[in-house]
Amino acid sequence: MKSIIYAMAIIFVLASCNKDVNERVVADFEPSNIDSLGGTWKTIHLVSSADIAVPVPQAINSAAYKAELDQIVSMQQAMGTEDNRIINRWKNSGVIRWNEVARELVSVYNIPPEANPDGTYPVPSAANPGAYPKFPFANPPYASRAYAYLHTAMYDALVTVWKYKFQYKRMSPAVNDSRVKSLETIQSKLPSYPSEDAAVAQVAYRMLKVLFPNDTIMLQQMASEQKRAKMMSGTASATDIAAGEQIANAVADKALARLRTDGMGAAVGNPALWAQMEQDAVARGNTMPWKSMELPARPMMLAMFGNVKLWHISPSQRDSLRPEAPPPVGSDQFKKELEELKNIRRDQNSREWQIALYWADGVGTYTPPGHWNEIAALKVGEEKLNELRTARAFSLLNMGMADAAICCWDTKAYYFSARPTQIDGSIKTIGLPNFPGYTSGHSTFSGAAATVLGYVFPTSKPKFDAMAQEASLSRIYGGIHFRADCEVGLRCGKAIGGFSVRFGEKDGSQ
Amino acid sequence: MRTISLIVSMAGIGLFMLISIHGRAQSPTDGFTMSKGEICLVTDYGQTKWKEYWEGTRLRENLNLGTFNARMIMPMAGYGVTGKLNLFAGLPHISTSSTAGQMTGMKGWQDLSFAAKYKLIKKKHEQGTFYTFLTAGFSFPVSDYIPDFLPYSIGLGATTVNGRVIVHYEHKSKFFTTFQTGYTLKSNIKTDRQSYYNERQVNSSEMPVPDVWDGAFRVGFNNKRFRADVDYNWSTSTSGSDIRRNDMPYPFNKMDAQWIGISGLLWVPGVEGLALHAAADQVVGGRNVGKAFTWTAGVQYVFNPFK
Repeated sequence: MKSIIYAMAIIFVLASCNKDVNERVVADFEPSNIDSLGGTWKTIHLVSSADIAVPVPQAINSAAYKAELDQIVSMQQAMGTEDNRIINRWKNSGVIRWNEVARELVSVYNIPPEANPDGTYPVPSAANPGAYPKFPFANPPYASRAYAYLHTAMYDALVTVWKYKFQYKRMSPAVNDSRVKSLETIQSKLPSYPSEDAAVAQVAYRMLKVLFPNDTIMLQQMASEQKRAKMMSGTASATDIAAGEQIANAVADKALARLRTDGMGAAVGNPALWAQMEQDAVARGNTMPWKSMELPARPMMLAMFGNVKLWHISPSQRDSLRPEAPPPVGSDQFKKELEELKNIRRDQNSREWQIALYWADGVGTYTPPGHWNEIAALKVGEEKLNELRTARAFSLLNMGMADAAICCWDTKAYYFSARPTQIDGSIKTIGLPNFPGYTSGHSTFSGAAATVLGYVFPTSKPKFDAMAQEASLSRIYGGIHFRADCEVGLRCGKAIGGFSVRFGEKDGSQ
Repeated sequence: MRTISLIVSMAGIGLFMLISIHGRAQSPTDGFTMSKGEICLVTDYGQTKWKEYWEGTRLRENLNLGTFNARMIMPMAGYGVTGKLNLFAGLPHISTSSTAGQMTGMKGWQDLSFAAKYKLIKKKHEQGTFYTFLTAGFSFPVSDYIPDFLPYSIGLGATTVNGRVIVHYEHKSKFFTTFQTGYTLKSNIKTDRQSYYNERQVNSSEMPVPDVWDGAFRVGFNNKRFRADVDYNWSTSTSGSDIRRNDMPYPFNKMDAQWIGISGLLWVPGVEGLALHAAADQVVGGRNVGKAFTWTAGVQYVFNPFK
């Protein structure tokens, strides 16, 4: 019997082996450059950084500022291990940290609602966000919009922060007072008033609580933690933080005013509009309009999303960017593309399958725009961009992808074209999205993302283009798109991304 | 005593689809042994199907899946090194499909498993005989099947190691009872996916697969001509998260099940060493698994080439 007990004991010891996995993380880095003229860069929501007036800070020899420094000294004296953990968590780019938070929230909410017993589908309600289905359904169009609002608002806030940093040139507490310890690496030439971390934290909190209202408390705690971390580490004083918050609130007000009137509220549509959409496509020559393959049939995801307000493209430009009609059902080109799909190797261990799954970014994930945000975050770390330039990179990238989503959904609604499985039931997939096929969303997102990232990080442009090409093909390999959907989508995505690039080229950052 | 039934341990199979095969695992988990030099060859065919599954603890249907089906062919072999030590190996071939939806089914050879069973204690009493066995085994995938495409994946892709204790009592009336329980360690797996949500966002293509604690209680009758028994089985993941509402299942889910089964074995009269067997079971409770009904049937042949 003893040997049994020993055997079991050994097994349970082995069982304590943990289930941790190796995760990709943005490596610790210190920015390589300060961009002292960053306050002049062209803003998105604001007319310019001068829109927001920030008061002159107290002089460093004033009694009021001395009191702020005393506060930090006493905070540092009372610090515990938890405080060190918090400093460590926020020592790197706050923009990237909040981008990660946004990606996680998208993963939480990116699950299509389950059908009602009567065969209809419930729609999440911003007015009652906690009820099933919880608000929002963070599908790819919603996610692209969320990432864009978060990062454009952060960018505007940081441009303004930079203006006043170099206008007032008040340095960090650790630089100004030898009693204050520097508990993280501080860019010693970067002024501290207003605090860029406070601006980033406050923008993130203000924007994300509207986009993901169920998580308001968690978001507020994180924002408070980031601000507190910067005081404890000797990076920012109370008024540095307050000035950053003031800028953030002013920018968030502007960005949220746009968000509330950008047409998203009408993006779901209604049965009459859906029917009209199909009729219009048929009138334009579509002989086999898209049908939902789900049971019960589910309305097209965000059918009217193509009407949402664009970032750098006018509605008439959107219409001119809309590609030619897809190859007609039954045409030689169509038959050839259908045949290709039937012959794709979708068995295990094939390169095609691996690519299809690598880029799938489907239900329950951070979506294709989220995937490209992660790619961008890793690249920002490699290139050691400062916080302002990081914000610019994410802002340009996400405006490009949000415009890609809007233009692509406009095309999908306009042509209302069937997916391969609707034509030929023998074609099986990695999981079929519930909206028309032409053009491929993945391809459009990826074309736009690679174009913007190739502009921001020119030495890696060939790599990003190759990734976009692979992401585009992945949808053929997954059995869910015809080649034309993908090739045209990629082409359009590149053109759409070009609008964001042209904004970047003229924003004064060169 | 020539009472040998051999159905391989299916510990590597994805519980989401095939939970009920696992517990039928008779050889490394039953109370019977082969004598020295004996070889046992087995081929089984089986099917499992379910229409309802537990999404977390909520039992539901999914019209976009319809009824899930898996078919299995299971070649297995056993060898009596001595009367006390038996070795086993098995390798199932599995194919999956469903009656509705747009997702592709999968098929292929799954995990090769090996097990050694050691008779630790044998005590004869006036009324019967009491045995205790220890089993140790391991398994690993033999093909590059895709574990992260549940419920269609043919397995979870993990390399596993397990240990097991079996307590077996045979009454002189030929009735017997067996209790067995074991623990299976499962390695993390590599997936094509680059990130996933497992109670938090994980940016990795590496995925944990929960370890499993399982066991069974069995009573039956066994003589020289046939054997019949009924069993209650459980399998519990010691970690893992629930399937989120209307989400897909993943290998890292906590997959638990309880099921009851019957099985029978008949020695073919006039053919030395040849037996037919069949089994069926029904999952009666679970978490993140299908409410599956499974049946298997097969033949086995026992011979001693060294005699």
